[in-house]
Amino acid sequence: MGGSSKGDVILDTNELRFIEGHARLQVRMAGGDTVAEFQNLEGPRFLTKYLVGKPIEMAPMVASRICGLCYTAHSINAAEAIERALGIEVSKEVRELRNVLYLANNLRSHVMHLLYLTLPSIKGVISVLRLRDKDLYEAGTRLLTKSTELIEVWGGRSVHVPNVVVGGFGAVMNGRQLVSSVHELEGLMNDARRFADYAIELDLPELERYRPLGSLRNPGHYPTYAEDASMVLNDGSLLSSDEYYDSITEVTKYYSTSKHAYFRNSELTVGALSRVILNRRHLKAEAKAFAERVEWRMNPFLIIKAQAVEVVHYMEELIAAGQRLGDIIVEPSKEGVAAGVNCSSSQGEIPDCQGTGRGFFVAEAPRGALCHACEVEKGKIKSYKVYTPTAVNSKSIELDAAEFVKKFRQLGVEKMRYILEDMTRAYDPCLSCAVSLDIY
Amino acid sequence: MRLAFYALTSCEGCLTTLITNLGPNVEVLWKMFDIDYFKLVREPVGGTKIPKADIAFVEGAVVTDRDRRTLTEIRKNSSFVVALGTCASSGNIAYTASRDVDFEAKHLRDLEISPAEPLSSLVAVDFELSGCPVSAEEFTEALLRLINSIEPIQPDFSVCYECKSRGNPCLLDAKKVCLGPLAMGGCGAACPTVGSACYSCRGPAMEADLKAYLLTLEKKGIGKEKALMMLRMFTGKKAKELLKDGR
Repeated sequence: MGGSSKGDVILDTNELRFIEGHARLQVRMAGGDTVAEFQNLEGPRFLTKYLVGKPIEMAPMVASRICGLCYTAHSINAAEAIERALGIEVSKEVRELRNVLYLANNLRSHVMHLLYLTLPSIKGVISVLRLRDKDLYEAGTRLLTKSTELIEVWGGRSVHVPNVVVGGFGAVMNGRQLVSSVHELEGLMNDARRFADYAIELDLPELERYRPLGSLRNPGHYPTYAEDASMVLNDGSLLSSDEYYDSITEVTKYYSTSKHAYFRNSELTVGALSRVILNRRHLKAEAKAFAERVEWRMNPFLIIKAQAVEVVHYMEELIAAGQRLGDIIVEPSKEGVAAGVNCSSSQGEIPDCQGTGRGFFVAEAPRGALCHACEVEKGKIKSYKVYTPTAVNSKSIELDAAEFVKKFRQLGVEKMRYILEDMTRAYDPCLSCAVSLDIY
Repeated sequence: MRLAFYALTSCEGCLTTLITNLGPNVEVLWKMFDIDYFKLVREPVGGTKIPKADIAFVEGAVVTDRDRRTLTEIRKNSSFVVALGTCASSGNIAYTASRDVDFEAKHLRDLEISPAEPLSSLVAVDFELSGCPVSAEEFTEALLRLINSIEPIQPDFSVCYECKSRGNPCLLDAKKVCLGPLAMGGCGAACPTVGSACYSCRGPAMEADLKAYLLTLEKKGIGKEKALMMLRMFTGKKAKELLKDGR
């Protein structure tokens, strides 16, 4: 890759293994200082650019293609951003069902990350299929299969769900049908417990570094998807979601195919660890009990344990939601039902829309706060922005890497390389997502 | 028999679909075959080198020079190359979206980024499994055929066929643009079943007849501009070919 790299490379991970997308981490000495570069190598797919000039109804479908792991988060955020731009109100029931989809998607993404990507390297095996703890693989596989199935039942397909549309859902959603699939989750609680127990007992490297943490706050609840949420920081301050959005600046890096997203011109760590540290009193009972077994510190390796705690939490949330779903019937969004101020929708199509406005939406996707923002002009998308958690976390990954190399250089390059690779992976970076913060 | 799974520029949704939708059968695959490369499942044999494989499944479009180098190596080292998913088979949304980008801009040149292309623009592809995402069942069927030396097949019916057999009301009758008649089936008509139009994410059906389709739209009083825009979305490079033939 070209670019004007400066300084001597002292450590290079080459292409990182077991992550979503392609990236590498390089640490170099530049002017007596240790600096790290988290290089996205994934090519851009120009998705947000594609949306410009397109009818608003296409946003959830195109945004979904940003990521093969957290697609549901992208399509729901896209629908919400468009709805907000046009003043389209959706019902409480639609919100409830979107929440359930969000939970199922976060569950699936976490299990996938922990089981397939994280554990093998920490346990020193070449693949999850070589893990000595066979029952763990089986428990994880059952959770993965079930969460995928939930998304399929509610989303209309297991990956890139077509049922999430602007204004609500494309098809009739009958709570009763969903209840049975949620009931089956109860039978998998033991798997979730086994999984969490295993992760919490892991012996992980100590790499503490103070930094700003950010998580959405939804009063009285653990944050995932909420109609309106603010952002809480570890200094105790609270930002409204638009203040958070306004605090982000995009920074182009000569070494990366994606921009980094800086918060107040510096770093912010978002994701499972930030959520657990800032909101753990709102975890459901069992998840909270698991969380109490960990001494939470600002060590990126603890993201692994935080995700494991969340696996239990999402299961508990889904089971609780199942008990509320029984009486819900959501009609397909259609004229008159999800009619907004400017536009009406017909099963996801919004014909003759002349609406104009700006909208954005933030929710806690698996890897952290995910923000979609759009401008709509006369029913067409005028601009579209996506701030992904990986783009926000990139700066923290670099600072952690630099700090680590400064502290532990005596370990030697080979050892450091493995630990750094594990550290980066703990953040659960998604390069396919990050690349949608375009550089073109 | 050696299998390898690669991802070029993509969302990795196809490889993820294989993992999550095959469920416990991932282990069956693992036991039956030597899987030497699958970045989400194992540490690659031979590190960053592309290993020799009997069948290589490649997800993603070709966008960066890195993609080009990797794909060339894959082709050299694999007896049979399967394009996995729509990015690999047609270039997907990225194909159309990258046509009017200024690739002479300095940072794009420095990062060696070019307009998105399907695999077949660069190397010979032996078989295509389309879909955004790909279907785990179709993958299994193709694999079973290949290991038994039977030629794998693509669905020879359109999305309409599956949509009708599911008893869905026709979206074209409701005067909505739907690409069902042009689109390759095999997805179970996932989108029209939940009331959303088909955007032909698996590319054109074998006997896609654009002229007849446009005539149908005209008869039903539906404008064709939106249909053509939709056709260019997922169908990428194949839409270009179809539109050329249809004129």
